[in-house]
Amino acid sequence: MRIFLIGAGQVGFAVVEALHTDHEITVLDTEPSRLAALAERYDVATVEGNGTSRRDLAAAGVQNADLVIACTSRDEVNLVAGMFARREAKNATTVIRTSNVEYVELWRVGQLDVDFVVCSELETAHAISRIIGVPAARQTDIFAEGQVQIVEFDVEEGASEDVLGTPLREAKIPRDSKVAAVIRGDEMLLPGGNEVIRAGDRIVVIGSPEAAQAWSALLAPEGAAVRDVVIYGAGRVGSAIARVLLDQGIRVRMIEASPEKARAVAEALPDARVYNATGVDPDFLERERIGQTNAAIFAMRDDAKNLYAASLAEVHGVKFTIGIAHETVSTEAFEHAGIDVSVNPRTVTAEEIIRFAHDPRTKQVALLEGNRYEVIDVVLRDTSEYIGKAFREMPIRGALIGAVVRNGSAIFPHGDDVLQLGDRVIVFTQAADAPRVVNAL
Amino acid sequence: MRPKRRLAVDLKATANLIGALVKYLGLAVVFPIGVALLYDDPVWPFVATGAITSGFGLTLERATAGAASRVGVREGFLVVTVIWLLAAAFASLPYLFAGGNQLSHPVDAYFEGMSGFTTTGATILTDFDELSRSLAMWRQFTQWLGGMGIIILAIAVLPRLRVGGRQLLESELPGPEIAQLSERIRNTARRLWFLYIGLTAAETLALASLGWFGIDERMNVYEALAHAFTTLPSGGFSTQANSIEAFSAAAQWIIVVFMLLAGANFALMYRGIIRRQPRVFVRDEEFRLYLLVVGVAATALVVQLWSYGTAQGEAALRAGIFQTVSIVTTTGYATADFAAWSTLSLLTIFALMFAGASAGSTSGGIKIVRHLLVGKVLRRELEQTVSPELVMPIRLNGAAVDERTLRGIAAFILLYIGFWAVGAAAIAIESAIGGVDVGTLDALAISASAVGNVGPALGITGPMGSFEPLGDVSKLTMVVLMWVGRLEIIPVVVLLTRHYWRL
Repeated sequence: MRIFLIGAGQVGFAVVEALHTDHEITVLDTEPSRLAALAERYDVATVEGNGTSRRDLAAAGVQNADLVIACTSRDEVNLVAGMFARREAKNATTVIRTSNVEYVELWRVGQLDVDFVVCSELETAHAISRIIGVPAARQTDIFAEGQVQIVEFDVEEGASEDVLGTPLREAKIPRDSKVAAVIRGDEMLLPGGNEVIRAGDRIVVIGSPEAAQAWSALLAPEGAAVRDVVIYGAGRVGSAIARVLLDQGIRVRMIEASPEKARAVAEALPDARVYNATGVDPDFLERERIGQTNAAIFAMRDDAKNLYAASLAEVHGVKFTIGIAHETVSTEAFEHAGIDVSVNPRTVTAEEIIRFAHDPRTKQVALLEGNRYEVIDVVLRDTSEYIGKAFREMPIRGALIGAVVRNGSAIFPHGDDVLQLGDRVIVFTQAADAPRVVNAL
Repeated sequence: MRPKRRLAVDLKATANLIGALVKYLGLAVVFPIGVALLYDDPVWPFVATGAITSGFGLTLERATAGAASRVGVREGFLVVTVIWLLAAAFASLPYLFAGGNQLSHPVDAYFEGMSGFTTTGATILTDFDELSRSLAMWRQFTQWLGGMGIIILAIAVLPRLRVGGRQLLESELPGPEIAQLSERIRNTARRLWFLYIGLTAAETLALASLGWFGIDERMNVYEALAHAFTTLPSGGFSTQANSIEAFSAAAQWIIVVFMLLAGANFALMYRGIIRRQPRVFVRDEEFRLYLLVVGVAATALVVQLWSYGTAQGEAALRAGIFQTVSIVTTTGYATADFAAWSTLSLLTIFALMFAGASAGSTSGGIKIVRHLLVGKVLRRELEQTVSPELVMPIRLNGAAVDERTLRGIAAFILLYIGFWAVGAAAIAIESAIGGVDVGTLDALAISASAVGNVGPALGITGPMGSFEPLGDVSKLTMVVLMWVGRLEIIPVVVLLTRHYWRL
């Protein structure tokens, strides 16, 4: 597939990283230094130019593209580039990134002339809402219209004996779920029946949403459902998160240092309680019982502030912290400092965008562990050698099928189940093996 | 020596606009002239009134011709305040010419004129039969004209002057329709006048049909029109010494309904009735609270009347509801001499004088929406005492209310209480010196009734009484209170500041 990418920022990098091996990519950006950095690392064509200039787009060859992705950090540039690309490349799919929920709404009602709109803020909010829905999870993704959930858990001491220290064959794992992978240190295992889950492992579970909840209860018995969260920062990310969580009936309190922003968010979200405070005043944290909240989300613009505020919140007793990491390096720092989950809006956005680059059989892709693993929702080809085979006969070849979608509904297969023509499978694999796995299916 | 500051108000342009408006005001005498011709009353008092008023307006306009026609917000304050003073004078001219013993004294005539144009309803009259039919109708008619003026004031003028939270009227009804409605003020005024005239016609018909069907012998077309004229502006003047008690129970119930309507926001009624969107009534917070206040107060009064044995059965129900609605909407009609009720009932009536009905209605007083918002501000204040960092926009019908508007409301209520207290003191002191039979509660009620444009007060100035025994200082105090109250206080007080006049 020929991909034309406008914007070589963080999202652009993430998209290139995920797609460069299988696709022919051209990147357009106004900044030569960013293009140079990209060209140094990946085998992509780079063109210096302005995405809002139709001439620059044409000169860079946008008309030859199958997929045009406008993912600069500026909405206006992406909008204009997306619209020009549609004129220049009539058959290409156009995807634009935006940070404004309003554009998403416009696009949904057909008022925006592009094929897809991906909103970083909204994707981030949904990612966080998925994490909060499964309290013990590090990351979760939804597949097959919500019927299948991929959840990554950290297994700790104190997890239920039902799954800890027992061979998987005998373990009482929740119905309709499967352990897709065990990550132990730097090693990833596709577990067989004899594998034993140990404390300190990180596991990937594929299952129904109910099973995901059950796993959460097994692994973190005291982790009750989240009813009340505190969000630090009422910028666009914070507000989007608040809106999504309020819609789910979760009580939301927000802390915002700027009086104008605090007022604006309080006006926009009548159900949220908004404080105009820095969130690092111990008296305030104590008085408002911030420590008793189920979860705190740090969505301020500055990663360092998020890190500091999160540490302070943990000191005050907050059990579950989620940090928004705007810089790629921050993710590690957050993790090291004990923030339970970190979400990078640009990674989340890139993940959404990458979906459009897969071949038509691929419905959806989720990236785990900083792009090292992928979960792919793919339709079996008609000539696939796996059709008609029972699961117990299948050899393990670096991938694991966690669920099958047949006629629109999800099946969680057992050894005797047989794959049929037209089935969609949800498969877990290492990112490096992903193209090979998809080809084989 | 400090240099003299320059005058900031364009007096010439102000006078020019006042002249232009007063010129048309004089034309209003056409209606009483017709009534006078019909009943063979002398026509000259009205002809003279019209000639003097229009002549004065024309002269003023001519004398200031060529003035820059830019009348801004600064001039706006002066125009509205002076217009109401002049309109009251205009209304008082026929009383001076033909008022007989009762109203020919200038203070009394002006009192009656101001009470008419501010739709208060307080009266000097004691002998209602002495008045000619045309002059009695003139009294009613001045209130009806005042009501039209109030609609313009409420919809167009006061929101622009950002007076005491009046700008709420604009934000109160979100949605494209109302935005359109307020797009052209002239259009808005025309629509609401249409509603006002339509409701007046409906009430006239409803009341007159009681006479036609023989249900109420005394309710002829003249009385029906006369009372419709003073119901919709929430005025309260009556042609009868005993107010609405003179009419049948059916007439009283009909008037209750129209008083309630007069106390509702006209813009809301326009949407709800003319545009057939009855749900706007349910959604409007002020309207709901308005009905709740009326409901609770009426229940309290009915229980009191029943248990004290003042009235029983339907009569108690009717008396309690009628008086409550009349006071809350600041109409001031009565079907019973509530001045003679038990102390508890007196205090209930007195408290209700501070309620007022909806903003954007013809009623006076503090008004429900201000009570509502002050209540919300108080609640926020208490929550912020515990958590000073809390950010809580005050909402009305879902939309956040500007903090400036809230400050305006607080200022309005403080000034309102101030004027009420000072007015009550003036009336109490003069009455004590002059030996007028006005007690402390009576003086407090008179002042509250005047500044709230209610009309009747307690004691000798109750609904069946008259303000005639009061001294001139008290009457003039009431004139000022009625005027200040009608203009929502702040425009008048603004004129008292040095900043207003000088740059």
